[in-house]
Amino acid sequence: MGVILEAKNLHLSFKGVKALVGVEFSVAEGEFFAVIGPNGAGKTTLLNVLSGVYEPDKGEVVFLGQNLRGKSPQDRARMGLARTFQGLEIFRGMSVLENVKLGAELALPAYPLALPRAEREWQLRAWAEEVLDYLHLSPFRHAPAGMLPYGLQKRVEVARALASRPKLLLLDEPMAGLSLEEKQDLARFLLDAREEWGVTLLWVEHDLRAVLELSDRVLVLSYGEVLYHGPPQGVRQDPKVAEAYLGQA
Amino acid sequence: MYRLAKGLTDAFSRRFARAVRETYGEDEAYASTPLGRLALGVFLLLLLLLPFLLSPYPMYVATLVAIGALSAMGLHLLVGGAGQISLGHAAFMGVGAYTASHLVGPLAPVGILLGGGIAALFGLVLGLPSLRIKGVYLAIATLAFQFLADYVFKNWEAVTGGIRGRTLPPAELFGLSLDTPERLWYLVLLFALPLFFYAKRLLMTRAGRAFMAVRDNDLSARVAGVDLVRVKLLAFALSAFYAGVAGGLLAQLYKAVTPEYFPLSVSIQYLAMVIVGGAGTVLGAVLGAFFVLLIPEVLNSLVGALGPQYAATLAAWRNVVFGLLILFFLILEPLGLVGLWGRIRNYFRTWPLPY
Repeated sequence: MGVILEAKNLHLSFKGVKALVGVEFSVAEGEFFAVIGPNGAGKTTLLNVLSGVYEPDKGEVVFLGQNLRGKSPQDRARMGLARTFQGLEIFRGMSVLENVKLGAELALPAYPLALPRAEREWQLRAWAEEVLDYLHLSPFRHAPAGMLPYGLQKRVEVARALASRPKLLLLDEPMAGLSLEEKQDLARFLLDAREEWGVTLLWVEHDLRAVLELSDRVLVLSYGEVLYHGPPQGVRQDPKVAEAYLGQA
Repeated sequence: MYRLAKGLTDAFSRRFARAVRETYGEDEAYASTPLGRLALGVFLLLLLLLPFLLSPYPMYVATLVAIGALSAMGLHLLVGGAGQISLGHAAFMGVGAYTASHLVGPLAPVGILLGGGIAALFGLVLGLPSLRIKGVYLAIATLAFQFLADYVFKNWEAVTGGIRGRTLPPAELFGLSLDTPERLWYLVLLFALPLFFYAKRLLMTRAGRAFMAVRDNDLSARVAGVDLVRVKLLAFALSAFYAGVAGGLLAQLYKAVTPEYFPLSVSIQYLAMVIVGGAGTVLGAVLGAFFVLLIPEVLNSLVGALGPQYAATLAAWRNVVFGLLILFFLILEPLGLVGLWGRIRNYFRTWPLPY
């Protein structure tokens, strides 16, 4: 198993606030990789840097052996880097199906003319339906995405991201605000997606139990610095992590 | 008798109930059912026969509405589709109209197309600020374009004929002079029908989804692989193309072009059509144009019935009614006439057993 994503010495600051300070880590292909840390640790900033919303001041991100510097978010999306957001960033006015189809565009080879073509649309539909079925969203396919309950909207976002057949999926707090049952469902969907479609997963999550149970490796950030990088078993034992979360004893 | 009844109810439910569509392909297509195809066919036939059914003045109004709907379709793509606002739609129509006024007679179709093309180029340029600014700020930028265009229309005498404008000889198609609205109607259909079908397909497929993604959430759209620059510029160019073609057709209908056909108030009128019709749909464009362009006609005929002494009062009331209607739709029916139509259809979909 090769390395799919590598972050080298990432630095980013906003007018004196150091959001990322020399962050280094690597994600192996097929891994379930977690990023955790207290509020304001720079987790979402890290995802923004990885997905191209921010450009780091220093350092580089290597994805599939390619340096991502200067690549726009849509370029990265086409390379197989998908992402979901912390808040709900789905397309509320579009139906669930349209949301997923939009993601599915990336799974099919680009076609040169912007003319609408029925054949391609059917291919998209078939693949989108597969993803919808997989995430148990089929009954809601024609519902406007913004009208669904919160848990389902979160699932629509995951479906949209998965429909692009990403090689690496970045998830920003996918479980926030979900009930226990919904969390379990989502965990199963994610593990199955990894199994079946070979998606590597990198997630930011606050639910420590879920993180420690599901993830292969964990990166702990605090004030933009890496505190811990390794298997989940070691997280609880690490004194620096305990200090960052609980304060000085 | 039983078979006839069963056939009719089956056709009815096939038309109205999605559940009966059995493949994804059928669900994707429009007019996928026999009844739907029949309705579409009847509708197209009706459009073709319209000049034989209406007397000259209603025909003139119908042509005006069709041209308005075409132009409104363009604004729908931009405002309802891609979520960008434009207060310069009339200016694009003006660009198309003045271009068309230079290629007349047998060249008219070419002139109209070229008008659309040149308007699209201006649309691309006006799309550039949309890459940086949004909402109200973008509205101001397009407003500036509207005023600039107005100034150029009034002062570039060599091309626009200044305040007095330009007059056009009637268009010709296959040697036939299109000097009356009844004849011009077919030229309008020639342009409008393909453009409407294109817009319909566009909104249902890849480009349309990219438009709507930008409208709903541009950050997320970027991360989902939508090229913002391309989508916004394409939306502006397409919208301007529709406006330009409509402007060219309007010039053929009026057989003249003057700056006063394309002031700011017309731009606002088109925005009103989008809002009243229900943003972002083909049906909305048609219904909105119908509504907004027919109100003055209805009020005019009221004036005719009441006598000329009320003309001034009613002219003022026209604007009041207009404003009230837009307020009404914004507050009570944000989906516009399309939303109303959807509700009526849903009522009949389950009729006569709603539960």
